Amino acid sequence: MTNPAPAPASGPSRFRQTLIRVMTVQVLTLIALWLLQRHFTA
Amino acid sequence: MHWVNWAIVIGWLAYVAIDGLRRAKGTKNIEGYFLASRSLPWWAVGLSVMATQLSAVTMIGTTGQGAVDGMRFVQFYFGLPIAMVILGVTLVPFLHGAKVFTAYEFLERRFDAKTRSLTAFLFLLSRGMSCGTILAAPAIVFSAIFGWPLAWCVAIMGVPTVLYTMIGGVQAVTWADVKQMALIVVAIVSMVTVLLFRIPVSPGAALHIAGAAGRVRAFDFSFNLTDTYTFWSGIIGGTFLMLSYFGTDQSQVQRYLTARSVDEARSSLLISAYWKIPLQAMILLIGVLVFVFYLFQAPPLLFNPAHERSVREAQPAQFAALEARYGAALSERQGAARVVASASDAGGDAERAAGVAFRTRDSVVTAIRDDALNLAHETTGQPSRDVNYIIPRFVIEQLPLGLAGLFIAGVMAAAMSAIAAELNSLATSTVIDFYRRWVRPEASDRHFLNVSKGATAFWGLFASVVAAYAGTLGSLIEVVNRFGSFFYGSILGVFLLAMIPSARALGAFVGLIAGMSAVAWVNFGAPQVSFLWHNVVGAVTVVGVGLVVGMFGRPTPQRQPVQGQQG
Repeated sequence: MTNPAPAPASGPSRFRQTLIRVMTVQVLTLIALWLLQRHFTA
Repeated sequence: MHWVNWAIVIGWLAYVAIDGLRRAKGTKNIEGYFLASRSLPWWAVGLSVMATQLSAVTMIGTTGQGAVDGMRFVQFYFGLPIAMVILGVTLVPFLHGAKVFTAYEFLERRFDAKTRSLTAFLFLLSRGMSCGTILAAPAIVFSAIFGWPLAWCVAIMGVPTVLYTMIGGVQAVTWADVKQMALIVVAIVSMVTVLLFRIPVSPGAALHIAGAAGRVRAFDFSFNLTDTYTFWSGIIGGTFLMLSYFGTDQSQVQRYLTARSVDEARSSLLISAYWKIPLQAMILLIGVLVFVFYLFQAPPLLFNPAHERSVREAQPAQFAALEARYGAALSERQGAARVVASASDAGGDAERAAGVAFRTRDSVVTAIRDDALNLAHETTGQPSRDVNYIIPRFVIEQLPLGLAGLFIAGVMAAAMSAIAAELNSLATSTVIDFYRRWVRPEASDRHFLNVSKGATAFWGLFASVVAAYAGTLGSLIEVVNRFGSFFYGSILGVFLLAMIPSARALGAFVGLIAGMSAVAWVNFGAPQVSFLWHNVVGAVTVVGVGLVVGMFGRPTPQRQPVQGQQG
C-alpha cells in the first residue's frame, strides 16, 4: 500500500513553510556570493 | 537583426496581447477588474509581483551595471527579505483584512479623508511619471540601436500593454506576468550559457579575471552615507525602501489584495522575495561575464550606435585617433588578462602581480573610453553615459540566431509587465480614491467598470507622452527617481502610524508634510547623501512628528466603511 500524497499546505503552515524556504534561499545565495568574493578577489 | 529574431519578438508580443484579451471574458464587474474577484492562486500572484519589479531597466541597465561596476549592486536588495517578513506579519493582514481596493482607502478608515487623498495623490503623481520612464528606458535604447523614431518604439510596447490591461484588468495583467516571467528566466539562463561557451578561457579563469578587476566583490562593509551600494545602506535603507514599495505602493499592494486569504497574500509576498537576490546576482553576473567577453573580443569605443555615428561624422580625425589608442590599449589589456588566467592556477604572489598589471591596463582603457564619452557629450549635447547600451549591443552583434530575438522579447516583456501593473494600479486609485470618493459615489458597477477602462487608457496615454519626451529631457529618469524618493519614506511613515493605536488623524497629516519637508531638506541641503537613506529620514520623521502632534489632536473616531466599500 502506498502512502497518500501529502495534502497541500494551507493557512499559517503554508506561510511558515514559504518563509523557511525563502530565507534558506537568501542565506544560501549570500553564502555563495561571499565564497565567490573570497575565492576570486585577489 | 535577422528576420528569425524579429519573428520571435513579434510572435511573443502578439501572443501576450491576444491571451490578455482572452482573459477579459471573466471580467464583468469592478471587483473582477481590479482584484480578479480575489480568486488568484498565490504562486501566480507571487510571480506577477516578481515580474512587475523586473522592469526593462533591470534587464539592460542592471546587466550593464554589472559590466562596468561588478556585483556590488546586489547589496541594494539585501533589505528585501527582511521587509517581506515584517510586512507579512504587520501590514498585509491589516490591508487584506480591511477588504479595501486601495491601500489609501484604509487610511481614511483609520484617519481621515484628507490623509487618504494626499497619499493617493502623491502615489498618482510619482507613479504616473515613473510609468513613463519605465517605458522610455528601453524605447530610447531600441531607438538608438535600430535607428527607429522613439515614438514607434514607445508604441510597440505601449499599445499591446494598454490594450490588454484596459480590457482584461488585473486578471489579464497577472497571467501575462506569469508568462513574461518565464520568458525572462529562459532569456537570462540562455545568455549565461552562451557566454560561458564564447569566453575563450575556463569559467574559473574568467571569474579570476573578473575578480582581478574588482567585478566579483558583492559585499562592501564600509559605512558611508554617500555610497548607495554598501552592505549597510542595503540592509537599513533598502529595508525601508522595500517596506515602502511593497507595503504602501498601490502597484504592489494591489497584487496581494487579489489573493484568496491573508495567508495566501502573505505567501505571495514572500514568493516575490524568493528569487529576487539570486536572480539579481545572476543578472549582474551576466554583465560581469560580458565584461570578460569583451576582454578577448574588441568592444566598440562607444556602445551607443547613434552617438558613435554622430561623433564619427562630426569629429572624424579626433575619433580616429582615439580609436587607434583604444585598439592598442585593448591588446595590451587582453595580454594582461591572459596572464591573470594562467597565473590563477599558480596563486599567491604571481596571481597578485598579474592582477596589479591587469588593473593598470584596464585603467588605461577606461581613461580612453572616458575621453570618447566626453567627446560624444560635446558633439551631441546629450548625456553620453552608455551603460544601458552595452547589453543590447552585445545581444544583437554576438548572440546566435534566435537568442537575440528571445532576449529582446524578454526586455520588452519586462517593460510590459512593469507598465501593465502600474497602469492597473493607477486606474484603481484614480477611480476608487478620487472618482468614486468625491465625484460619483452612487453610480452602478457597470459605470465604474467603464470609467476604470477609461482611466487605464488615460494613464497609458500619459505614460506614452512622458516616454516620447523623456529622450529630449535627458535626465528625466534621475529626476523622477529623486522625486519618488521624496514620498516613499513619508508614505510608509503614515502607514506605520496607522498601526499605532495612539496615533491621531491630525498627527498623520502634519507628520506626512513634515516627513516630505525633512526629505527635501536632506535632498537639497546634503545632496551627497544617497537616496536610500531618504526613506529612513521620511518614515522616522512622520512617525516622530505624527505621535507628538497627535498628543494635541482629538481622538480619531471609529469610522464606518467609506462610501462604496465592502466590509
